[in-house]
Amino acid sequence: MDYAVVVALQILSGIATLVIVSLGLAVVFGMMRVINLAHGEFLMLGGYCAILAHGAGVGVWISVLALPPVIVGLFGLVIERLLIRRLYGRMIDTMLATWGLSLALIGGVNMAFGNTVSGFSAPLGSFTIGRFHNSVYDMFLVLAAVVLSFSVWAVLRFTPAGLIARGTMQNSEMAAALGVAPDRVYAATFAAGAALSGLAGGLIAPLSGVVPTMGTLYIAKAFITVITGGAAMVTGTLTAAGLLGTVSTVGTFLTTPVLGEVGLLVVAIVLLRLLPRGITGRFLRQSL
Amino acid sequence: MRRTGLQIAAATVVSVTAAWMLPQILELFALINATVFVSMALLALSLGLVWGFCGILCFGQTAFFGLGGYSYAIAAINFGDTTGAVPIALLVPTLIAGALGYFMFYGRISDVYMGVITLTVTLILYKFANSTAGDQWIIGKAALGGFNGIPGTPPLNLPLRPDQALDPRQVFILAIVCLWGCYVIAKLILRTRFGRVAVAIRENEVRAELLGYDVRRHKLGVFVLGGVMAGLAGMLFANCVFVSPTMFSLSYAGQVIIWVLVGGVGTLIGPIIGCILVQMLVTWAGTLPDVDPNLLLGVVFMLAVLAVPQGLLPATTEILTRLLRRKAG
Amino acid sequence: MTALLATEGLTMRFGGVTAVDGVTLTVGEGELRCLIGPNGAGKSTFFKCLTGQLRPSAGRIFWRGRDITGADGYVIAGLGVGIKTQVPSLFDGLTARESVALAVRRHHGERVARTRVATALERLGIGELAERRVGMLAHGQRQLVELAMVIAPEPDLIILDEPTAGMSAEETRRTAEVIRELNRSHAIVVVEHDMQFIRSIAKMVTVFHQGRVLIEAAAEQVFADSRVREVYLGKAVPRC
Repeated sequence: MDYAVVVALQILSGIATLVIVSLGLAVVFGMMRVINLAHGEFLMLGGYCAILAHGAGVGVWISVLALPPVIVGLFGLVIERLLIRRLYGRMIDTMLATWGLSLALIGGVNMAFGNTVSGFSAPLGSFTIGRFHNSVYDMFLVLAAVVLSFSVWAVLRFTPAGLIARGTMQNSEMAAALGVAPDRVYAATFAAGAALSGLAGGLIAPLSGVVPTMGTLYIAKAFITVITGGAAMVTGTLTAAGLLGTVSTVGTFLTTPVLGEVGLLVVAIVLLRLLPRGITGRFLRQSL
Repeated sequence: MRRTGLQIAAATVVSVTAAWMLPQILELFALINATVFVSMALLALSLGLVWGFCGILCFGQTAFFGLGGYSYAIAAINFGDTTGAVPIALLVPTLIAGALGYFMFYGRISDVYMGVITLTVTLILYKFANSTAGDQWIIGKAALGGFNGIPGTPPLNLPLRPDQALDPRQVFILAIVCLWGCYVIAKLILRTRFGRVAVAIRENEVRAELLGYDVRRHKLGVFVLGGVMAGLAGMLFANCVFVSPTMFSLSYAGQVIIWVLVGGVGTLIGPIIGCILVQMLVTWAGTLPDVDPNLLLGVVFMLAVLAVPQGLLPATTEILTRLLRRKAG
Repeated sequence: MTALLATEGLTMRFGGVTAVDGVTLTVGEGELRCLIGPNGAGKSTFFKCLTGQLRPSAGRIFWRGRDITGADGYVIAGLGVGIKTQVPSLFDGLTARESVALAVRRHHGERVARTRVATALERLGIGELAERRVGMLAHGQRQLVELAMVIAPEPDLIILDEPTAGMSAEETRRTAEVIRELNRSHAIVVVEHDMQFIRSIAKMVTVFHQGRVLIEAAAEQVFADSRVREVYLGKAVPRC
């Protein structure tokens, strides 16, 4: 019985991690149809923010929750202005340019900080269920995933900014005719996506430490989750992460971590074969 | 037809020159490196064909590259003779490409979704190959070796003479022949009705269907052809370096795409040139003491995309054409 | 007159909307049929069902008596049906000649293709555009290239969806001429909006209204019918 609960908690934690690392990419891809291959590196930058701030004595929660989104969000603004803006509508070119950015960031961080892993242990300690120890931080991540998803959905659904953003994405000329500056909306949306990615990096930094190449571990999974999720940003990511995260965690428990990952990938392929437009291309189509 | 003839003639001249001259002027180590470049150029060509001439953006061309390498190594170790290993190295990628292509194209999957699926396939192979370190992972006499790969790939030997291995100079010439051969085959196929329909599919899939062509079948054919070429490239690569999961990696998968993009999507020569240029850039960047090669590479790519978005070859051709026109008029 | 293309109770539903509702229609060999009706009447949806771009929700489609309901688009096109869509669907990167050649090559060899291509381009008066890239042509010219792609293989049946959309008066006149001439050896179904164009070519007309066939008769009869006028002007017409 205890074991079942532990497994269930691990599944939730696995899903939560997927949601957290994918939301930033989902927002940028879902709203702007921009494939940001540097998403993993935004994550990495967020992680480094957290580690460096904490190392300099800043409190854990500020290091993890407050600094990464702000710093990476600002960085995202700069990148949008310099790079992304010139390539709108050119999906392939954006992919190439952001791949270049990804390489440059990995190289730059490597030069600045070296490529050894640094980190700090997860706060909040552990709790026990029966004879199993669980990390409270893992549960905190579940909470964070819920809060983040809800916040993104709420902003898009209820705030004027969210409405403007959605309108501009659907029809930028019309939005411009109504007095909205599409450029500003694009910049803000990309920055928001970057901030989400940075926050994700900060959140997962205590889990596995940071290293310049950590982004590459997550980019593939995030990409796959977002595409499998389909056009709807929040519901798509949640459903895809739910399904893929469950498969991956259960697979890990039943066999090995590698096969768990392979299971995730296989399920993604099958899903895309059955639902060529992603999950929310077929179900929950009107959702955000 | 005349233009194709000229291009093939030019390619032949270049290939013969390279095959004859380079072994004479390059030292052994540099020659082996050059062979690696040629195998990668073949990989680039395979993606250039599939993407540039049928619109199939395959993120996982490295899957067939690695499958070619691994099947060759495993077969060669088991047979003790590479004569049987070569067809196997070509057969395995063909079958997998056929299965994957059937799965994707007959399921009407396209663009970004296909990119994700092909990427996922190469990742699956990567993770799987990485995990085969234990003693139980043996196929016949060949241990798969996990993330270290299979050391000591048996070098190619003359057909049915297992004791007469090819020396690096001969392997280099063979690689050039393979690259030339695949280029010529691709060029010729593009002139057939099948090839023209493939190009039309790239332009407008719906229209091609409305003309009565089975788009799925054409895409599958081109995809399998690309897979075979990539497998051949993998086999050549395995001969110069050793076989390891890196062949399936995300890093390589991305690099192939960059080679084709830099060289120019929509041409066959472009990807080859793009590959060689980028590889030379990467090698040179590795020798710089203070600058991280990734940083340099990344900056170059960003600048390349912003300044020369359609790729080097189309841009260069355009500049040359404009210069020639100005001289004439 | 043998039935070339026939539909039986063809219905197309999208969620709660029934775009095409039980349409039964027969086109005979060598016939010229115009499908008209106001916007939203279901003509274009019906067209897409005929060409295999949509799978009908109910009903059946027959080609020369053979049931082809739900067949893939390319199969229907391969049977000898020339299809021209509403929005020009072309190969922008290919030249006009290459595009038309591809159309002919589906059914014939290289040599036949060459002559048919030249003939088709001349017939539509766009011979001088043969080596131009289609993506570079003006809208009206693109329509003519597409028309050339459709007629060059000499199909048994040609289905055209708003062939004169965006054309100049001269180009429209040329198209009408071509259609009349083509009708001498091919059956043609035209889905159109432009009443003047219809008047200049129409023989038998089927009028669509709210997904159903309102009236199907000879051209003069249809144009004189008050219900047709009301339908076009938007007044409510009792369902028949």
